[in-house]
Amino acid sequence: MDSTTRIRKEEEIMSNCAGCDQKDGCVSVHASINEMHGRTREMGVDTVFDRYQRQQPQCGFGMQGVCCQLCSHGPCRITAKAPCGICGAGADTIVARNLLRLAVHGAAAYAHHLEELAKTIKATAAGKTPFGIGDEQKLRQIAGVVGLDAAAPAPELAGQLADVLLSELRKGSDEPLALVRLFAPPTRLAAWEKLDVIPGGVLSEIRDALTKSMSNIDTDPVDLLLTAVRLSIATGYMGLVATVTAQDILLGTPALTKSGADLGVIDPATVNIVAHGHVPLMATAVLQAAQKPEMTALAKAAGAAGIKVYGSMCTGQELMQRSATSAGGFAGQLGNWIAQELYVATGAVELVMMDMNCSIPGLKTVADRFHTRLVSVDRIVRMAGVDDHVDYDPEKVAEQAVGLVKMAIDNFRNRGKNVHVPQCKSAAVAGFSVESILGALGGSLDPLLDAVRKGTIKGIAAVVGCTNNRNGHDFKSVAITRELIKKDVLVINAGCCSSATQAEGLMTPEAADQAGEGLRSVCRALGIPPALNFGSCVDIGRIGVAVTAIAGALGVDPSALPVAASAPEYLEQKAVADGIFAVAFGLLTHLGPVPPVTGSPLITSILTRDVEGLTGGRVLVEEDPVKAADAMYAHIMAKRSALGI
Amino acid sequence: MINVAACNGCLTCALACAAAHSPSRDIVGAMADHTPPRIFIQAVRERAVPVTCRHCEEPACVEACMTGAMQKDPVSGLVSNEGHEQKCVGCWMCIMACPYGAVTAHPTERIAVKCDGCPHLDQPACVSACPNGALSWEEPDRFAARKGRRTAAALLEERAG
Repeated sequence: MDSTTRIRKEEEIMSNCAGCDQKDGCVSVHASINEMHGRTREMGVDTVFDRYQRQQPQCGFGMQGVCCQLCSHGPCRITAKAPCGICGAGADTIVARNLLRLAVHGAAAYAHHLEELAKTIKATAAGKTPFGIGDEQKLRQIAGVVGLDAAAPAPELAGQLADVLLSELRKGSDEPLALVRLFAPPTRLAAWEKLDVIPGGVLSEIRDALTKSMSNIDTDPVDLLLTAVRLSIATGYMGLVATVTAQDILLGTPALTKSGADLGVIDPATVNIVAHGHVPLMATAVLQAAQKPEMTALAKAAGAAGIKVYGSMCTGQELMQRSATSAGGFAGQLGNWIAQELYVATGAVELVMMDMNCSIPGLKTVADRFHTRLVSVDRIVRMAGVDDHVDYDPEKVAEQAVGLVKMAIDNFRNRGKNVHVPQCKSAAVAGFSVESILGALGGSLDPLLDAVRKGTIKGIAAVVGCTNNRNGHDFKSVAITRELIKKDVLVINAGCCSSATQAEGLMTPEAADQAGEGLRSVCRALGIPPALNFGSCVDIGRIGVAVTAIAGALGVDPSALPVAASAPEYLEQKAVADGIFAVAFGLLTHLGPVPPVTGSPLITSILTRDVEGLTGGRVLVEEDPVKAADAMYAHIMAKRSALGI
Repeated sequence: MINVAACNGCLTCALACAAAHSPSRDIVGAMADHTPPRIFIQAVRERAVPVTCRHCEEPACVEACMTGAMQKDPVSGLVSNEGHEQKCVGCWMCIMACPYGAVTAHPTERIAVKCDGCPHLDQPACVSACPNGALSWEEPDRFAARKGRRTAAALLEERAG
């Protein structure tokens, strides 16, 4: 690197991470990613880190949510001299409408995921897929709750349950969602009824919210916010809870298992396939196909030592947490959203399967510098320059999977000599779910609740959601997790945050050494890590189920529990829907990056203060991870003293 | 004059500048014909800072110019390398000499580009366009007087509060 490039690099880094004086080229909390970033810079390969710099400075009106581009009079933005857009909409309306539109996108993506799953269960029930019923007990239990004949033969029952899910998705917004009534704590239902936010069918709610957020329809900021709450509750119970449950029924409920994480798990000797995205259906089929002896023989004939299927983002977490059930043979998790270009840049990846969301357009540019083949495996995923589409079809997935594995083997021959795999890797325990925790505790939540009552564990915090470069990659999620466990708060990770703490070794029992005395003793007694891997971002639904179970066991509302949530690096629209759901669910919800609402004093004060009187939850915005952990701890301690423990 | 605290990095000034110097005279046209802006918003630690020509009393760029294209107008005080008998040849001496980084190379032509103070307008396009009042176009004394009055008012309030 010449001196000009070096100086430029230092200048860029300095303008990137606020509050960090490091000038050594560090862009990520992970040594592996920093090493790969150095390699991409040397090679002149553009990644998210470089593009981030070129976008600076970013427009303050957009950051504050007061830019409206809906009609051709726009764009309008709110300034001191122009407190209203041309139509007369003020900052409050514009901010609320923009926020609702973000939440709608999230709700729609979750609905797509659930629909693919329900269709797969139907096809499986008809014997047309390579999948089976992974958790018959859960199938019968849930079928019973929704009013089906739980004694019916499993395949028939699974088909009926899938039909129930599809009809729940598609019914009118005036028909309340059965799953909300059946699964929400009664105290929550009462709070939501008061606000008239019990949602109907998800697709209808999406239609209503999109219609309302058109120009000149719903311009009342408070009603727009309530619409976002209603939509987010639909997302919570359908997109999250129902999706997780249906995935468990199809692919098996996560069971405790050991795996590995970080870029060092890549084996340069094998044909390497990466399952990237959120929907683990094609990925599971490919993982199974890759283990067939005839595929291994093909790989060996191509000069490779074998075939390995790795995970990336949430699809990876889904595989990891089921590697003791349907995803046996899983080779490890590479990283989260920001890592995608960097693992391609190792030069050792033959194929990336891109399922439902989070494949960034920049990935193609990086893939083109190497031999990596990108394939979209969901009918809604398309990327400029990517011509390989193997759109997931439940009835054809067995042959599609074999085709994908062969594609990867063929591509192994094109692998260049420029391969570099960082040596960083960490062990990781995965497979935590309400069921596996109950199993570990001997069938009852009591040992955990006793530890909370006694104060050995002060409370539980969900540190979940995306990764984000706004303050450097994964710095915040790892820092908040570390701070909380030090304070004897048990952390549950899900989504990209799971990949973050996994790579830093926080999901190993040995990480108990980094926890406070109380939490350390509990972790050692049970042999568990201080940060539990609950899986993918959809598995935030699993956290909802866990909190509901704990609230039920203690006989209180979720908002009274010593728990808190944090999305320290939230990035995209699904996270917006999740965050609003968490607030509606009664949780203190910390957000790292400041959400685009600060241009509206009304919306800001509702979200950060007034909503607490309505749902018990509220948003906490704090960019400093240590201060955020302190505030979450203070909230947990306040809830403890209110409960008299 | 620049009030850094008021800038929120929206880049409206840069767009308005490009528009004012584009043959089309509008933003969309300027984007289409790639007219470069002459005001820059630098990002420093997530803060936006406008940087443009100070039209210095003793301009280093004028001093450095080998053809004499860069001149300071004795009446208006504006520093520009356009509209004079001598032509800019793109030697970039002015770019090297400018202490503010306010002079840049044209992306396609071999000519240095800098703020010309929009002599065809009542006040520079960037100043008119800034939605945040971060830019102003006035004599240093007036700017200082305004700032002085603001400081005095703040001091009074502080004492009263």
